[in-house]
Amino acid sequence: MSINDNLFVIIMASAIFYGTPLVFASLGELLAERSGVLNLGVEGMMLLGAVAAAWVSTNVDGPAIVVLPLAIVAAMIAAGLGASIHAFLTITLRVNQIISGLALTIFAGAAGLSSYLAGIWQLGQTPVKQQFGKIDVLGLSGVPVVGPILFHQTLLTYLSWVLVIAASFYLFRTRAGLHLRAVGESPQTADSVGISVSRYRYFHVIFGGSFAGIAGACFSLMIVPTWVDGMTAGQGWIALALVIFGFWRPDLTLLGAYLFGALSSLGLTLQARGIHISTALLSALPYVMTIVVLVIVSNTASRKQLGAPAALGKPYEREER
Amino acid sequence: MSRFGFRLEPRSYLPKWLPWAVPVGSFLAALLVGAIVLFATGQNALSVYGRILDRAFLSEGAFTGTLISATPLLFTGLCAAVAFRIGFFNIGGEGQFVMGAIFGSGIALKLGVDAPGIVSVAAMVVFGAVGGGLWGLIPGILKARFRTNEIITSLMLNYVAAVIATYLIFDSNSFWRELTGSGAVFPKGKILPTGSWWPNLDFGSIVVPFGFVLGMVIAAWLYVLQRKTRFGFEMRVVGGAPTTARYAGMKPARIVVAVAALSGALAGIGGAADIGNFRHVLDPKGLQQSGFGYAGIVVAALARLNPVAVVFVAVLLGGITNAGYALRGPDFPSGLVGVLQGLILFCTLGGEVLARYRITRSVRTPMNASALESA
Amino acid sequence: MKAATAPAVAAFHVTKKFPGVIANEDVTFDVRVGEVHALLGENGAGKTTLSNILTGLYRPDEGWMEVAGIAVDFQSPRDAIHAGIGMVHQHFRLIPTFSVAENIALGTGHDPVGGRFDLKMIEERVVEISESFDLPVDPRAKIWQLSVGEQQRVEIIKVLYRDARVLIFDEPTAVLSPLESERLGATLQTMARSGRSIVFISHKLGEVASIADRVTVLRHGRSVQTTSENDVSALASLMVGRDVESVTRSSRAIAESSSRVGAVVLEIENLHAVGDRGLKALEGVSLDVRSGEIVGVAGVAGNGQRELVEILAGLRRAGSGSIRVEGESLENGSTRHPIRLGVSYVPQDRMGTGLAPDLTIAENMALKNFRRPPVARPPFIRQSVIDAQGRDLMEQFDVRAPSETTPTRRLSGGNVQKVLLAREMSGDPRVLVIASPSQGLDVGAVATVHRLLIDAAESGVGVLLVSEDLDEVLALSNRIAVMYEGRILDTFDRADADAQRIGLLMGGQLDVSA
Repeated sequence: MSINDNLFVIIMASAIFYGTPLVFASLGELLAERSGVLNLGVEGMMLLGAVAAAWVSTNVDGPAIVVLPLAIVAAMIAAGLGASIHAFLTITLRVNQIISGLALTIFAGAAGLSSYLAGIWQLGQTPVKQQFGKIDVLGLSGVPVVGPILFHQTLLTYLSWVLVIAASFYLFRTRAGLHLRAVGESPQTADSVGISVSRYRYFHVIFGGSFAGIAGACFSLMIVPTWVDGMTAGQGWIALALVIFGFWRPDLTLLGAYLFGALSSLGLTLQARGIHISTALLSALPYVMTIVVLVIVSNTASRKQLGAPAALGKPYEREER
Repeated sequence: MSRFGFRLEPRSYLPKWLPWAVPVGSFLAALLVGAIVLFATGQNALSVYGRILDRAFLSEGAFTGTLISATPLLFTGLCAAVAFRIGFFNIGGEGQFVMGAIFGSGIALKLGVDAPGIVSVAAMVVFGAVGGGLWGLIPGILKARFRTNEIITSLMLNYVAAVIATYLIFDSNSFWRELTGSGAVFPKGKILPTGSWWPNLDFGSIVVPFGFVLGMVIAAWLYVLQRKTRFGFEMRVVGGAPTTARYAGMKPARIVVAVAALSGALAGIGGAADIGNFRHVLDPKGLQQSGFGYAGIVVAALARLNPVAVVFVAVLLGGITNAGYALRGPDFPSGLVGVLQGLILFCTLGGEVLARYRITRSVRTPMNASALESA
Repeated sequence: MKAATAPAVAAFHVTKKFPGVIANEDVTFDVRVGEVHALLGENGAGKTTLSNILTGLYRPDEGWMEVAGIAVDFQSPRDAIHAGIGMVHQHFRLIPTFSVAENIALGTGHDPVGGRFDLKMIEERVVEISESFDLPVDPRAKIWQLSVGEQQRVEIIKVLYRDARVLIFDEPTAVLSPLESERLGATLQTMARSGRSIVFISHKLGEVASIADRVTVLRHGRSVQTTSENDVSALASLMVGRDVESVTRSSRAIAESSSRVGAVVLEIENLHAVGDRGLKALEGVSLDVRSGEIVGVAGVAGNGQRELVEILAGLRRAGSGSIRVEGESLENGSTRHPIRLGVSYVPQDRMGTGLAPDLTIAENMALKNFRRPPVARPPFIRQSVIDAQGRDLMEQFDVRAPSETTPTRRLSGGNVQKVLLAREMSGDPRVLVIASPSQGLDVGAVATVHRLLIDAAESGVGVLLVSEDLDEVLALSNRIAVMYEGRILDTFDRADADAQRIGLLMGGQLDVSA
């Protein structure tokens, strides 16, 4: 048995594989929340992205190098459109963000538009034609331990790493990122120095939503890879928890996503090794852990220092005189 | 801010008919948008709507089916309404519903065939309430004690509850699981003794499930509780102004915990009712697919958190759900139920704002148009 | 060139209306280059609206503005900033979790797409500005670590960083001690000498008279007059429109009432507590209040007053020490016990702490007696009794609103205060604790509130008046305690109180003989 068949290596490799959609989804939610808008519609937006990507992959003919990027773009547009409903309702109409987000998930989710479109388009009867397979980066996949973990993943995983780095740079090293954080912390202050609060919020809710679309595409083009109603199986909700888990920071959110990926792959891997353990109970672990982490986080003296945007969930209107 | 999009200007005058016109208008608008979606995807909207109306309310026995579908929505709707009213965003109705189903079915199985029906049914109501209540208590206590965000905790507990139900039937030899007959091969739950099946009350042409009647009674009780009692008064203060509540000698944390438990208990009774009236078995997959908890939030929002209005909204959405079940098949688009529910909610949320405010484009030119900038 | 002689900024016939209110009507004034120009007016005279128009937050309905002789039409704050107008807000527009430099950089400049912004350069520029105008501040410090005075300096640097030629200060001394205010006055002069123009908004006659070169007086939204007058009483009559009369108790009335005070009703002994940031807020406060007297606590905001009154109301726990109400000691951290012992409390944050904005006037008036009959018939409450009680109190306290079922959020500041006083004074209190009772109220409402406080004292209630407004404290109190950094520095009988000495104590200057 080579060292790369080692349980740790297998679990780490699949943690990254299964954690990839979570990275996209939580990164997108992070951007929206940094602007002060909570979007509980992640699950719905993911499914919209998944169904759009599945349609492109199934129905557009052409080489993978054309079709797959097209599928990703389609997924981003579909989810972005969903997010724009939420943006309009919460930013312009100042509707309660919780209810609007839930409405989006119900509208687009497992028993909603995504399933409707998949039915109309007759998806799900066969696997999608083009999918993201694992690639061997620079022939390093055989390197002990790090090879399978870091150099034998799909392009989507590498894309997610690029986005995490870009998002960190954007948030903490650019002026636009500073403005974004200001809008999420204190829209009054941002407004008073001429930063357009609603423009920043619209942009980040919609752009962040399009990331959820990529997350959905991870399922229909990489993990499953076909269409199944409700195939994201609640991962969108996990993404919400991960943003808190990662203290609204892209890098920590990525780590959190892989931790969850590891836990959800642990049961399957152990069973394949003949170790008996209830997969059902094991799969509850991430959820319980999230609660525990949340309690610890919220009990630590100051949530502010941890990055929670102070204006999160609050609609902004210029103060009455 | 000023140069982008629209601005809201409060209406100075609100006509009397407006509170009624908004929900009706929003509902019609949702149907219109739904029709556009159907039309755009090659469906005949009129015929789809006609079939939904027929299978939800008009055809033989349809209304009974609608009430059966409405019952869980009624309970989860009350669950959300009572919690949201005090600003406790319990979106764990789903998990509390499942825990109620587990507890309710558990006691019915425990009491067995010998227990008188009335005892079994009463015990199921109580145990359902306890199961859901305990599950609702967790986010309540965490919020009161550690200020933990209840949205995420109650949400996570939905999954934990689903996992527990799955574990009991598929992953263990639990008390709930049928281990004899076909159950030995295909995992499934034990059927409840028929004595514990909840009665249907026959009103001539319509048969009303007991769970629905119970839900109506509870809705009326909640209305009185909220509007006429000291506790209800405290709830209203805590909901709108927690600091003021504390200042006035109330204990917001205690009220939050109590309401969290009450909210969970309501969903729990719903879970027990669903099993007692309809499934008669603990069926994790069926519970998970139906998504009653989330739909309950839609119900509560549409009812503007008024418990009496929840009854009517539950019947309306129950009708659409029921028709969705009945019509399921190749010639009926799946997913339409969610699309319609979502659209109704979107339109109502938007409609309420439009009723209270005038929307004006924020324009650059005329000087006097800028009065709205002040808002 | 025209710009050389033209005023730095000028407004002509500016009118701004809001639903139901005319905030500014036909306002005309001009600010010269290099002058400190005060906008003087009472609360509600339209000063804030005017400054919001000058800074582009609102647009006038009629009239126009000129900057350096050129007509401008601001669409947003950004336009005003580009035109060189900057505002130092009364409520700081700073983000607590950001550093000084980050706050100052907000909204300025553009970086190439994908480029990082150069915080170091900004920090250097901040140091430069802070040195040339004597506004010391550490550019890397986080805002939450700074004192109020330092935060104000950041606000000023923020405006200077944007190269503002016209700086508008909205009630800048409200949060400062007398000493700090004096220092600010000097800074304003320096900035004016450097060729900038200062608009100084205030209702405090004394500082306007001493700092400003010229004064424009606003009354009921109109500009009454622009003058170089620096006589306080002349300015006062211009501001109020008649000879000033406010509810002050003559020293004789105070002396007379002092002779009638009764037994001690509130005894605070050696009270210690920590504040929100975990720092010591109270360090051994001891204070008595007797029946029938008004005890004023003077001090600059943030010296422990908030913590003190919150502990009395049970909203905050004391670390150590004791509080007795008519001899009975108060449970630490219980809000219900003080209510039961007859401690009434009118908080400074009236809407956020004192009232439930969405509930009706009548319901808000029942907030403290809804548990007992006749309002309650346990477990029920009787809405009809609540409404009747509300109607009675509204009449008794002259609350002006359409009806007792009007939500309190629709009330004006004066009526909000009256609703609160009605509730807090109706339950036969022994002690009335009131914080900043006249903040944000117009003159008429201030007089009513002061009258009510005097009435309360005369009926035998012990009143603890906490206020940052020294004039108010001097006008009403039998005894005055000065609070600084969590301690009572000294207590005076009104007859022995000297405004100047108290002012110095408020700034922490103990060696007043020097």
